Amino acid sequence: MESSGTAPALRLAGLTKTFGDRPAVDHIDLEVPPGSFFGLIGPNGAGKTTSLSMAVGLLRPDSGRSQIFGVDVWADPARAKELIGVLPDGLSMPERLTGRELLRFTGLLRGMEVPEVERRSGELLEILELADTGRTLVMEYSTGMRKKIGLATALLHAPKLLVLDEPLEAVDPASAATIKVILRRFVRDGGSVVFSSHVMAVVEQLCDHVAVIASGRVVASGPLEIVRSGRSLEERFMDLVGGQAPEMGELAWLSS
Amino acid sequence: MAVLLIRMKLAVLRNSMNGQRAVRLVTGAVAGLTLAAGLILLAGRDYPVTSLRFDVLGAGFALWTAGWLLGPALFGGGDETLRPEQFSLLPLTPRRLAAGMAASSFVGVGPLVTLVAFSALVVASVKTGLGAAATVVGVLAVVLQLSVCVLASRLITAVLGQVMRSKVGAALAALVSAAILAGLHSSWVLSPLAQSALRTGFPDSFSAWLTALPSSWGLLAVRAAAQGNWPTVAAVLAGLVALGLLCWYGWAGLLKRRLATRRASGRPVRMSSGDWARGPVTAVVARELRTWSRDLLRFHYLVFALCYALVFCLLPLAVGASIFLPWTGLVFALWVAAISANLYGEDGTELWGRLMIPGSARHDVRGRQLAWLLVTAPATLVLTIAMVVFTGEYGLWPWLATVLPALLGGGAGVTVLVSVLRPVPMTDPRLRGGNLLENGTDFAQVLMVLILSAATTAPAYFTARLGPVWAGPVVGLAGGTLLAWLLGRWAAAKLESSAPELLQYLRTGVSPRRKRPAPAWKPQKSSLPKPEPHLEKLGLHLAPNGQRVYVVASLVLCWVPLAAQGIVPALMLTTGQITPSWFLALHLPQHLQWPAITAMICLGLTMLITGLGIGLHYRAKSRRAGGELEPTTR
Repeated sequence: MESSGTAPALRLAGLTKTFGDRPAVDHIDLEVPPGSFFGLIGPNGAGKTTSLSMAVGLLRPDSGRSQIFGVDVWADPARAKELIGVLPDGLSMPERLTGRELLRFTGLLRGMEVPEVERRSGELLEILELADTGRTLVMEYSTGMRKKIGLATALLHAPKLLVLDEPLEAVDPASAATIKVILRRFVRDGGSVVFSSHVMAVVEQLCDHVAVIASGRVVASGPLEIVRSGRSLEERFMDLVGGQAPEMGELAWLSS
Repeated sequence: MAVLLIRMKLAVLRNSMNGQRAVRLVTGAVAGLTLAAGLILLAGRDYPVTSLRFDVLGAGFALWTAGWLLGPALFGGGDETLRPEQFSLLPLTPRRLAAGMAASSFVGVGPLVTLVAFSALVVASVKTGLGAAATVVGVLAVVLQLSVCVLASRLITAVLGQVMRSKVGAALAALVSAAILAGLHSSWVLSPLAQSALRTGFPDSFSAWLTALPSSWGLLAVRAAAQGNWPTVAAVLAGLVALGLLCWYGWAGLLKRRLATRRASGRPVRMSSGDWARGPVTAVVARELRTWSRDLLRFHYLVFALCYALVFCLLPLAVGASIFLPWTGLVFALWVAAISANLYGEDGTELWGRLMIPGSARHDVRGRQLAWLLVTAPATLVLTIAMVVFTGEYGLWPWLATVLPALLGGGAGVTVLVSVLRPVPMTDPRLRGGNLLENGTDFAQVLMVLILSAATTAPAYFTARLGPVWAGPVVGLAGGTLLAWLLGRWAAAKLESSAPELLQYLRTGVSPRRKRPAPAWKPQKSSLPKPEPHLEKLGLHLAPNGQRVYVVASLVLCWVPLAAQGIVPALMLTTGQITPSWFLALHLPQHLQWPAITAMICLGLTMLITGLGIGLHYRAKSRRAGGELEPTTR
C-alpha cells in the first residue's frame, strides 16, 4: 500500500453502476492529487452523484474500486471513513435537532471527547454564521443554512479529504461566499476537496483540477488549464458533451 | 366551472385506471353495496316494537355518517383526485373553486353507494305504510343527507389536516382513532346490551340522543310527514340544507387557508441541555428522545398507544368488568412496540450520516433500544401500578412481574430488528408537509410486531403457569434482557453489513436485491409513492379471490376466538373473576373450560398466522410488481 503522503487523495478505478439496463456510471477512472481543489462537472444525469456516492461508501458499486489516500473504501471502510468528510445533495439530516445539537451528537457518535466537540462546533457555528440560530430545528433551515450545517458536520472530525455534492446549489451569494472561503482555507492548509457542480463559473473560480463526466464516463480530466486548452470552460464543456445553443424562432406572440 | 371540474375528475380517474385500481374500485363498491343492502334489509324487516325500525335505522345512518367523517382520518387521505393546489394559479375566487370542488366530490363510488344505503329511509317509509307524502319527503331527505355527509366529510378531513400540524392536533387525532379502534376491538362488551335492545326496544334516552343527530333528521322528517306535522318537516329539511351550506362554507374557508400557507411555521423548540449525553450510545439516546418529543408523527403514535390502552381496558367497565384494568400498562407497551418498529424508515435518508461514521451501527441500535425503553417503561410501570392499586388486584403481581419485563425487553429487541430487516420507506421528514394524514401506516407491519412482541412473553408466561411462583418473574426479567441484547445484536450486525442497501431502499423505495429496473440514484425526488390504502396497501389485489376473502376474514375474525373467547375467559379463570356472559368456555362443565379456551386460542392463532402469512406473501409479491411501476407513477 502506498503511504498516505504520496497516494492520491481519491482514486476511482473502473467504478461501474447499472440501474436496470441503463449504466449510470460506466467504468469511471479518476485520480484526485493530494492537496488539489478538484471540480467534477457534467450535465444533469451524467452520473456525478452516483460516482461520488460510490466513491465515499454510500452506494455499493457493481464493480471497480475506490481508494482514499490508498485505503479501499469498500474493503476497509472504517479507516477510509476517518479520512473523509462528506456533504451529499438532497439527503436528509437529523432534522429534529438544532444545529448545535446535531454537531454535538455527531461528534459524540464519532467517539470524540465532549470538550473537544464543544470547542470545534462552537468555532464552526461561529465561522459559518449559524451561532445565533439557537432553537431552530435543522428541518426549518433554509437551503443555504442546510448546506452550511452539512459542511460543519463534514468538517467536525478534521478530515483530510472533503467530498461535496453540489455544495453551492441553490445557495444565496452570501452563504456561498462563506462556503468558498472555508473551502479555500481547507485546501491552503493541506486538505483536498472534490466537489461536483454544473456551474462553470464556480469551477473556474475555485478549482485547479477538473474532470468532465458525460453519460457515465469521464470525457476529460486533468489540471484546469489543460482541460480548458485556452478557451473558456463553458465553451470547452459544450464541445465535450455535445450541447448547442438553441436557435431563436417562433413564439412571436410573446412579444408585446 | 363545476361541470368542468367533474369532467376533469372523470378524466383523471379514467387515465389512472389500471388493473389494480379497477379491482380496488370494484371490491370497494361491492363491499359498500353489501353494507348498503344490509341497511335496506334492516329497514324492511319486521320488528317486535314499531319504533325499533327507526331506531335501528338511525343507528345505522349514524355509523355510516361516522364512517364518512372519520374514515379519511383513520385510513389516510380522503379524496384527493383533484387537489386545490392544482388550481391555485388560476384566477378563481376560493369560494368558486370550493363550489366546483364540492360538486366534483359527489362524483365517485362512495357517494353512489351512500345514496343506495340512505334509500333505506324510503324503504322504511313504504314498509311502515306512512303514505305517499312521507315517501316524497323521504326521497328529498335522502338527497340532502347525502350532501351533508359528503360536505361534512370534506370539512372534517380539512380541519384534521390543518389541526394535525400541531402537537395538540396530533394528540387529538390519536385520541379519536385510538378510541374508535379500541372501541371496535372491545365491541364484544356491548353485544349483550345490543341483543337485549333488539328484543325490547332501545332505551328512551338513547333514542332521544340518536334522533338529535343530523344523520337521523331524515327519519324525523319522514315520521313528521306521516303525522301531517308540516312545520316540523320544513324545519328539519331546512336544517339539513343549512348544515350542508355551513359545511361547504367552512370548507371553502379552509381551502383558502390551505392554498395560502405552506407549512406550520417553525416554532422554537424547548431546549434541554443534554449534558448527560457524553458518549456515542447516550448521544443516540438523547437524539432519539428529542425525536420522540419533537416529531409530530412519533408523538401522535405515542398518544395513540396510551389512548388505545386506556379505552380498551376501561370500556369493559360499562358492563361492570374491571378484568382488563391491571393489564393497561401491558397493552400500552405492546402498542408502543407495534408503532415504533419503523425507526429507520421514519428517519428516511438520514441514514447516510450514520454510514459515514465508522462503527456507529452498534451504538445507533443500542441507543435506540435504550431510548425506546426510557419512553415506554416508566409509563408502563405507572399505568400498571396505578391500575393494580385502583382495582385492588394485588394477587396479580406475580403475573405482571412475569410478563412486563419480558414484554419490555422483547419490545426493545423486536422494534430495532424489524426496523432494520423490514423497513417501510417513508418520505423524508422535511418533505412530509405537516399533514399526518398523508403518512399512511403500514398495517401489516403493525400487526406483525404486535404478534412478535407478544410472543416474546411466551417463555415467561409458561414458566409462571407451570413452575413455582418465583420462577415467572426471574424468567421474565432474564428472558427480556437476553432478547433485547440478542435481537439488538442481530439488528446491529445486519445494519453494519447492509447499510448501503438499506439507504438505497429508503431513498428509492425499491429493494436493491431485485433484478429489475431500479430508479437511478439521483436526489431531488420530492416524495416516495404514498402507500395506497385498503387492498393495495395490504398487497391483496394480486391474491386470488378465495384467498383474499380468507385473509380479510381471518384477520378480522381471529380476534373473536383468540381474544374474546380465549384470552379474556382465560384471564377470568386465572383471576377468579368470572362473568360467563357470551364466553363459550365459561358455560361448559369445569373440566372442559381450559381445553375449550386452549382450542379457541389455537383456532384464533391459526387464523391469525395463516391469514397473516398469506397476506404477507401477496404483499411481498405486490411490492415486487408495484416497484416496477414506480418510475412512471412518480
